[in-house]
Amino acid sequence: MNIKKYFVEGIPRRKFLEASLKGGIALAATPSLMMQLLSCKGVEKGSAKIAVDPQVLNRVIQKALEKGGEFADVYLENRISREILMEESKFKSAVFGISQGAGVRVISGDKTGFAYTDDITEEKMMRAAEVASFVAKNGQPVGLVKVKKESRKSYVTVKLPLGAVADEKRIDIMKRANQAALDYDSRIQMASISYYDEVRGRTVANSEGLILSDELPLLFFIVQTLGVGNNTRHMGRERLSRHSGFEMFEEVTPEEVAQTCARESIAMLEAKDAPAGIMDVVMQNGWGGVLVHEAVGHPLEGDVIARQTGVFTGKQGKKVASDVFTMVDDGTLPNFRGTTNFDDEGTQMKRNVLIQDGVLVKFMTDVLSAKQLKMERTGNGRRESFRYIPIPRMTNTFIEKGKDKPEDILASTKSGLFVQSLSGGSVNPVTGMFNFTCREAYLIEDGKKTAPVKGATLIGSCLDVISNIDAVGDDLDFGPGICGKGQIAEVTAGQPTVRIRGINVGGSRARR
Amino acid sequence: MDYKALAEQLVNKCLKKGAVLAEVYIESGRNLSIEVRNGEIETVQESATHGAGFRVFVQERMAFSSCNDFTDNALNNAIESAIRFAANTTPDENNVLPSDKSFAEVRGLFDPQISQIPMEKKIELAIKVEQLAMKDSRITKSSGASYSEGEGEVFIANSNGLLKSFKESGCGFGVSVVAEKDDQKSTGGEYCSRRFYADLKPPEEVAQKAAKDAYQMLDPRMVKTQKAAVIFDPDVARSVLGGILAAVNGERVLQGASFLRDKMDQKIASELVTVIDDGTRPRGIRSRPFDGEGVPTQRRVIVEKGILKGFMYNTIVAKRAGVKTTGNASRGGFTSIPGIGAHNFYMDAGKSSPQDIISATKTGLLLKGITGYGINPVNGSFSGGASGFWIDSGKIAFPVKGLTVAGNAFEMFNGIDMVGNDLDLNRSFTGPTIRIKLLQIGGE
Repeated sequence: MNIKKYFVEGIPRRKFLEASLKGGIALAATPSLMMQLLSCKGVEKGSAKIAVDPQVLNRVIQKALEKGGEFADVYLENRISREILMEESKFKSAVFGISQGAGVRVISGDKTGFAYTDDITEEKMMRAAEVASFVAKNGQPVGLVKVKKESRKSYVTVKLPLGAVADEKRIDIMKRANQAALDYDSRIQMASISYYDEVRGRTVANSEGLILSDELPLLFFIVQTLGVGNNTRHMGRERLSRHSGFEMFEEVTPEEVAQTCARESIAMLEAKDAPAGIMDVVMQNGWGGVLVHEAVGHPLEGDVIARQTGVFTGKQGKKVASDVFTMVDDGTLPNFRGTTNFDDEGTQMKRNVLIQDGVLVKFMTDVLSAKQLKMERTGNGRRESFRYIPIPRMTNTFIEKGKDKPEDILASTKSGLFVQSLSGGSVNPVTGMFNFTCREAYLIEDGKKTAPVKGATLIGSCLDVISNIDAVGDDLDFGPGICGKGQIAEVTAGQPTVRIRGINVGGSRARR
Repeated sequence: MDYKALAEQLVNKCLKKGAVLAEVYIESGRNLSIEVRNGEIETVQESATHGAGFRVFVQERMAFSSCNDFTDNALNNAIESAIRFAANTTPDENNVLPSDKSFAEVRGLFDPQISQIPMEKKIELAIKVEQLAMKDSRITKSSGASYSEGEGEVFIANSNGLLKSFKESGCGFGVSVVAEKDDQKSTGGEYCSRRFYADLKPPEEVAQKAAKDAYQMLDPRMVKTQKAAVIFDPDVARSVLGGILAAVNGERVLQGASFLRDKMDQKIASELVTVIDDGTRPRGIRSRPFDGEGVPTQRRVIVEKGILKGFMYNTIVAKRAGVKTTGNASRGGFTSIPGIGAHNFYMDAGKSSPQDIISATKTGLLLKGITGYGINPVNGSFSGGASGFWIDSGKIAFPVKGLTVAGNAFEMFNGIDMVGNDLDLNRSFTGPTIRIKLLQIGGE
């Protein structure tokens, strides 16, 4: 619980827009040493599995539909988390979280009622069901639903379970990253190493008779380094995250993460003022995919389409992007940060091609928007915790690889901006206007990457940008992020190297 | 539940289980949120909740745990987890807890009326504001209206004998709409939040602002890339203030990660600039009698007539810096350790009316919307996506969208040459209209 969320913040419009209108990988971009990870929840006793009698869930669902409504579900959650912060070569804090609770939801027509409880007892869940049924006044009660156990295919495998890892191992990983960062260059003045892991036990039961349970591990490792030069300072950032066991650190070492981060800090110490105005942009493969996550992904989420406000409303089956552009949301990529076995409403995860060769094929839905749009459930119904209703969210979203060689894309771009990495950005899904902040960028002069330039903003409209992508590389890669849309969700974004013709770049000097 | 007594008992439990110093932070609260669209309820969410956070110090090593299950078993488990976890952290002589038992007196934080007003009235308010915002024919769609409220109580106890609590409330409503013309879409939204229900603005005012923000941005034009004056509307004050706030964080300063690290008592801005952080303003939406670790809040001048006067600290960072805590320990709820944050943080009003500022501007941009992360607190660089109105010969000429603005913090702060008299302190992170003499604008 974050009690601040109870209050509507006194940042009137902005906050409201954040909550209702904008998607945004906001937290991910906090250029802050003190960056908070996902709020810590969660707790212990070996397993995060929840033992609950299906009969109790049957009765809660019946209660929820007592006054009417077509659909009800109960979501039970138990989360155990650990977060350790190392800064200035000291282990400053260690935070252990234990949280549990249940949320009950009722859908009646287009209306949703929701309530949650911290106590997973029949009495409290029945009370939540009663509160949630508020929206279904004057309806017809339904009979007892018999939920039955189902299973889903697993895309998350674990070799070294997080609950069995000794704290010393976590500490050791952090020390190794810190040392590697400081050893990289004497201009690295400080490193901040943040380690987070959690195990989230989920049980979903609904009025369609479904009951599903699983346990989802998550690791999130963030290195930030402060580079200090003659005239400037730059905070670099590199992140590694998966739904996986501790074996993640065998596949990608903490040293690699730290060195990548330190390299950025040092490279950007030479950065000059960026030029301002409209220019061609080549974006390197990887986390740059956040641009389409924001600019195209959020407007393709079913809720804005069902409200008929989204920029892609009525465009299904139509050509919306250039021929070389194919975009996918795939919740089944093994152990990825956006992957789960089923979404938070129990829907099987799948690979959803959203835009194929420039043609809009599919929207991303949750139970409610699928019903409203009379479309299939795509496995995108996600929730931050039991305290939130599920809404359509992305999982692992990326531009599908193309045929161009990355080096040819750069060489054939006479002048412009080469964006090596982005901090993050946001979009207004109604108008499709987006913005991004560059972390690391270089000028392109005569087809070559030349001088580094300071963090500029890229802005534009989503329909323009996907029509103006004219080259797509064969080097698809991904990066982990935190997506905020009133609630936060763990995602990955990916892309091969791409070129976008004509984006407005917010530099601080006129172009030469 | 008697949370105050519980907090005290739990402190003792921490000490018994091996903590040398301990702090217990308990929150309890309830919230209600109603969303409507096209005159119908879309969602209703209502819940009550509570949780406890334990900060323990074992031989100057600090660790923390939290849980939302108040059974003895769960609480014991959480405390033991924190104490066990402390073995992993580095001992630090600065790891101490506050002992200041005094309170700042802050009036008007809790409105007992909010929970007494029937749900139907709150739903009506949301429906009304939506209806009013849709009245204008240029407004074609609603993105929804909402009402939300919350009540909460905070309890802090620590092993230095500190034991404090306070109760707070908040409520608000707003609407978001779309204006369309041919293929164009433009959105506008407005929200009003207050400590007291009776202080909420009339729905007419909120609706009108939302609708106007949407339709007045139709038919935008582009301008050439150029340097020109930029007037920041109070709606975008945050983009300037945010950079100052992050850069006066005492811990960032010690770490060298602030562009203001070596500027104390020096001129960092034009003399028209005064920035204040006030935790004590009556009915202030972010006012509170004590901070996230129980230290009394205060009203502090951060920048006085352009001179940097204060950094912000919590207890641990203040000890490390060799100063007194400023009562700026902030918490993201019972699940987190105290960081450093502001209360009601704002730029003080000046003398010019917003109209005077526009009239005095030959050519420039009236900035109404900005995207991006504002000023980078590490090196002061600034870049964002911009929208608003183009000003020609002292008059608003046409709306502009898809522009960028960029510069660096000192250039911006020192370039402020007019400050408006239109400060609205009911917004917590705000300022008046200000003009920056010259800033890079990116366009065609």
